[in-house]
Amino acid sequence: MVRAELLKLAGLPAVWVAVALSLLLPPLVVLLNSRTVAPGADTGFLELTVGVLGPLVLGTVAAGSEYRGGQIATSLLCVPSRLRLLAAKTGAVVLSVAVTAAVSAVVTLAVAGVLTGGAGPRIAGVVGYWVLDGLLAYGITLLTRSGVLPLTVLIVNSTVVSVSYLLSKVTPLAAYLPDLAGAQMFIEPRDPAVDLTPVTAGLVMGAWVAALLAVAAYVFGRRDA
Amino acid sequence: MITIEHVHKRRGRATVLTDVGFTARPGRVTGFLGPNGAGKSSTLRILLGLDRAQRGTALVAGRPYAQWRRPLTVVGALLDGSGAHRSRTGRAHLRWVAASNGLPRSRVDEVLDLVDLRAAAGKRVGTYSLGMGRRLGLAAALLGEPAVLVLDEPVNGLDAGGIRWMREFLRRRAAQGATVLLSSHLMGELAETVDDVVVIDRGRIIAAGTLAEVTGDHPTLEDAYFALTSTGTRGPW
Repeated sequence: MVRAELLKLAGLPAVWVAVALSLLLPPLVVLLNSRTVAPGADTGFLELTVGVLGPLVLGTVAAGSEYRGGQIATSLLCVPSRLRLLAAKTGAVVLSVAVTAAVSAVVTLAVAGVLTGGAGPRIAGVVGYWVLDGLLAYGITLLTRSGVLPLTVLIVNSTVVSVSYLLSKVTPLAAYLPDLAGAQMFIEPRDPAVDLTPVTAGLVMGAWVAALLAVAAYVFGRRDA
Repeated sequence: MITIEHVHKRRGRATVLTDVGFTARPGRVTGFLGPNGAGKSSTLRILLGLDRAQRGTALVAGRPYAQWRRPLTVVGALLDGSGAHRSRTGRAHLRWVAASNGLPRSRVDEVLDLVDLRAAAGKRVGTYSLGMGRRLGLAAALLGEPAVLVLDEPVNGLDAGGIRWMREFLRRRAAQGATVLLSSHLMGELAETVDDVVVIDRGRIIAAGTLAEVTGDHPTLEDAYFALTSTGTRGPW
């Protein structure tokens, strides 16, 4: 069933756009930055935070595409147990984002010239952050049944104006918001309101995503298709 | 065999179905008739586990649809539209549907041939005509070679040739022992296709029986239908 969900993703052009964004954006930003920004501890990793756009699109499309063309009816006719359908779909999102993230991280760090043997744990952090961010978009879209709202909010928040970052200027608690906490899995924030270890950061973001998916699964399981 | 008993459905405050019950038997084509908004689609969606009823049971081959692990091998269903995402190709759509029920990939080309869609299989569903979308939906329904077919307005969007093809196809399936349940608001089409008739109006079953029984003393099924349903008294619009 996870195979069917992977086939579903692979059949959508928007998913390949998301994968291309994930793979091309961070190395490109590295090349641009290398002329202007002095290398630091976060070189390569900072650029990888931009690549999270890809997983955001992929997660949104994975959930939102069900509500285009009446596909959700076909999906439930094939797999009538909503929990099993959701589990398979979630598995497919996790798998595809994780692979993309790992490849993108290795390529980006290599381009930045900072790919060393010790980068392993931080690459794992990148993979965790991308997967959880993808699931965040996916969970919200399951609830809204349309990708427009989640995609707009999440992309604006992670690129143009970070509302979370602004909030962190008001209250230190903002550091526990999913995106800010999650990023600490692999980068050191410049002015941390609350400094989280990578593992704690992963747990905080994981808890957000788990809670969101639980609500989404509950609603998805109960409402008429 | 399809068995529906005492199904009640509310949506918000509106009562959609009241004590709906009927059976569709193997080897017969059962027509589910009613005006638009009478509750045909709601009944079929509950039967297929897509919507939930407040009360009642709906069984396909003796079990609720949701309890089948590989439902496509038991029931083939065609709902409105194609059931496929616009930016997928027809073949990609059928591939994932087949994979979800562990069906061999070779079935995809077989059903594409069956509905005469092989030539357009590599095109995106968004470019399909209404009729092609319906044929894709039917192809998906036939992937698992099910012995039960549930079709919501199957001739909608088909041209004259398509309608004739569908009628002969369904008759042939029933002759081979399949249970065929189809809904329609088009009487003329139905009278030539069905063995049994169930009439629903405003969420209630108002007649059920063989074509001859339901037609009764009226000259045609259409006359019987207008006499039975509110459509006749209300005017056609």
